[in-house]
Amino acid sequence: MTEAPKKRGRLFYKLLLIFLIVSLVPLGIVGYYLVNLSQLTLNRAISRDQEALAVGFADTVSSYIINFRNVLSDAAHMPDFASMDTAKQQALVSHIMQLHPAFLEISVVDASGQERVRLGRFVHDTTMRDFSNNPLFTRLMRSGEIVGGLERYMGSYPAITMGVQIVNLQTGQPEGAILAKMSLTALSSLLKTGFPETTHTQAAVIDSDGFLIADSDEKEIYKPDAKLPDDVLRVLLQNDAKSGGGELVLQSTGERVLGAFAEVADLGWVVYIQRSISVAYQASDDMLKRTWRMMLIVTVFVLFLGYAVSLVITQPIQALREAAIKLGEGDFDYFPDLSMPNDEIGELAHTFMQMSESLKVKTAEIMTAKDELERLNRSLENRVEARTRELRSAQDELIKKERLAAIGQMASVVGHEIRNPLAVINNSVYYIKTKAAAGQNPDPKVAKHISIIESEIRQANGIIDEILGFARTRELNPKVMHINSYLEDLTMSFPVPPHIELVKSFAPENPYVNIDPDEMAQALRNLIKNGIEVMPEHGKVFVRSEVVEGNMVRIDVEDTGPGMPKETLEKIFAPFFTTKARGTGLGLAVVKKVADRHKGRVEVSSVVGKGTCFKIFIPVAQGAPPPPPPPAR
Amino acid sequence: MAHKILVIDDDTHLRESLAEVLDMEGFETLEAGNAKSGIASAKKQNPDVVIMDIQLPDSSGFQICQELRKHSRDFILIMMTGRFLSAEEKTQGLSLGADEYITKPFDIRELSIRIRQLLGRKGK
Repeated sequence: MTEAPKKRGRLFYKLLLIFLIVSLVPLGIVGYYLVNLSQLTLNRAISRDQEALAVGFADTVSSYIINFRNVLSDAAHMPDFASMDTAKQQALVSHIMQLHPAFLEISVVDASGQERVRLGRFVHDTTMRDFSNNPLFTRLMRSGEIVGGLERYMGSYPAITMGVQIVNLQTGQPEGAILAKMSLTALSSLLKTGFPETTHTQAAVIDSDGFLIADSDEKEIYKPDAKLPDDVLRVLLQNDAKSGGGELVLQSTGERVLGAFAEVADLGWVVYIQRSISVAYQASDDMLKRTWRMMLIVTVFVLFLGYAVSLVITQPIQALREAAIKLGEGDFDYFPDLSMPNDEIGELAHTFMQMSESLKVKTAEIMTAKDELERLNRSLENRVEARTRELRSAQDELIKKERLAAIGQMASVVGHEIRNPLAVINNSVYYIKTKAAAGQNPDPKVAKHISIIESEIRQANGIIDEILGFARTRELNPKVMHINSYLEDLTMSFPVPPHIELVKSFAPENPYVNIDPDEMAQALRNLIKNGIEVMPEHGKVFVRSEVVEGNMVRIDVEDTGPGMPKETLEKIFAPFFTTKARGTGLGLAVVKKVADRHKGRVEVSSVVGKGTCFKIFIPVAQGAPPPPPPPAR
Repeated sequence: MAHKILVIDDDTHLRESLAEVLDMEGFETLEAGNAKSGIASAKKQNPDVVIMDIQLPDSSGFQICQELRKHSRDFILIMMTGRFLSAEEKTQGLSLGADEYITKPFDIRELSIRIRQLLGRKGK
């Protein structure tokens, strides 16, 4: 593993948590149950052990007492004891007392209850007592042997009285009894030996009245009112069981203790053993502690393992994430510098690399497409703009045409309506003129005015002709013909005034053209007429034809007049534009219209002071047959 | 005997002035202000020449043309117009029996000469 990434992702912590949960929770649960179970079992075992101890000690106590009784019994049952004299009996008893220091006093009593022998270890009273009314003696004589009569001998030693009958072996009749007081302090010594202070165990023997017979703490014994705590006593004395045990909270100190008791057989005594819980259960506590320590070690281990595993899993993912972020920022050349594991994550990384590569290619394609699209867009915009311009221009043209058509229509109606009055005037003038000429002494001035009227009528008529010619929208009636002969005919019939020289030069190819002869004639006449009009004194009019641009015929009409400035040239083909004092301004508009109608164009060039040249371009008729001879009419 | 010319035009001034000028030129003139009276007059008077406007309020010149030619092919028919005629109109008019077109305004002497030429050709 290389250096760890600086930032741990959520996944890392999730994995870590999952590891901890998966490994520790079952362990914890199982451990908890096991520990509990073990502790319970252990505690029970401990409790049982303690109970067994109590039972064992109860046996010991029982044996101890029985042992001493047996000593007395052995003596009493000696075959000759009953027949012995007092001195002999006293010697025997003394011997017993020497052998067994636990005996404090021993008396030999006859069947009537009179004391015969009296020996004491501490009290040397020889006064013989009468036991006939002694309840112990009475009971002894009835049952054969007794153990009882617990007392604090001389106010301090716990002691007990035991007795056996002296039986005549021949008769089998009781002849007396041996009564002995016996110190029980040895029991306390036994207890102390059995439960030394280091075991933190207290042991005691009590009788059924709560009298403290023996205690592992010997000092307790010598107290005149020595007894166990009341709560312990209550439990012990109210219990009918032979043995038992359990936990108990001492009211006096609040201490939790584990207690066990066992009844001493035949005597009605109880052996009680008590240990502090902490001491008693130390083993189980130790086990618990060890278990917790183990759990802690496992937790640390799992933590470390989880950390390592999470790191191994998340580190490549983290690296991929960084690469993806770089990718998102458009850095296609960044690849995480990692040796990817040979597993699903490795495959993911590999797929990611492929995706990155593919994205790079696709993005490049998209960028190219975008550029192309933008370029096309721009081109489209330009085209749309150009088309819009064209459309607008066409629209303007259309509006202009419509306006001109409307003007033409109006002009046509007006012109037509004016022709009638002109005709009437013409007739009337003719009438007057004829009458005046026929009369006597015709007035020359009248004749002059009549001729002025006639001239003006012609002028007006010419204007109407021009307007109607421009406005006329009849179908073109083209004919295929040689351009040269057409021009020749036209110029020949044109009335050229004498001060003008008409110069003709025609194209040697003499190409065919497809023209409406009437309309073209009108256009050319307008041009020649204009040329003549601008040269009132003298000048030349050139009429030329030439093949140009391969498939066009150019017809020139040039004059040597004063020429026109540029501003005039720009407007010269516009309808109703004129520089003449009198004129409709339609002559050149008609020329342009005719040229347009013949799929041609008209151009003008002029040099002020030198002259003006109009050029009509019309297409050459391709492969046209020679025209049929014009029908005579 | 002077040749008889029937002038049919709804424009009174034009009709009268034309009639008077032709009268002065030595023709005998008749006048009609509309197609109906023109046709009636032509049938009754048998003019040598009929000069008629191509547009009359009650009928088009072509219909009058046909009507007149049904009656007789012997007279000269001249159509007057105030506007340009298309080639079709001209062809139609000629095919229906018109002999000549004149466009207003016209020169009386020229008209007079034409009439005489046409009359000459017809042998009148």
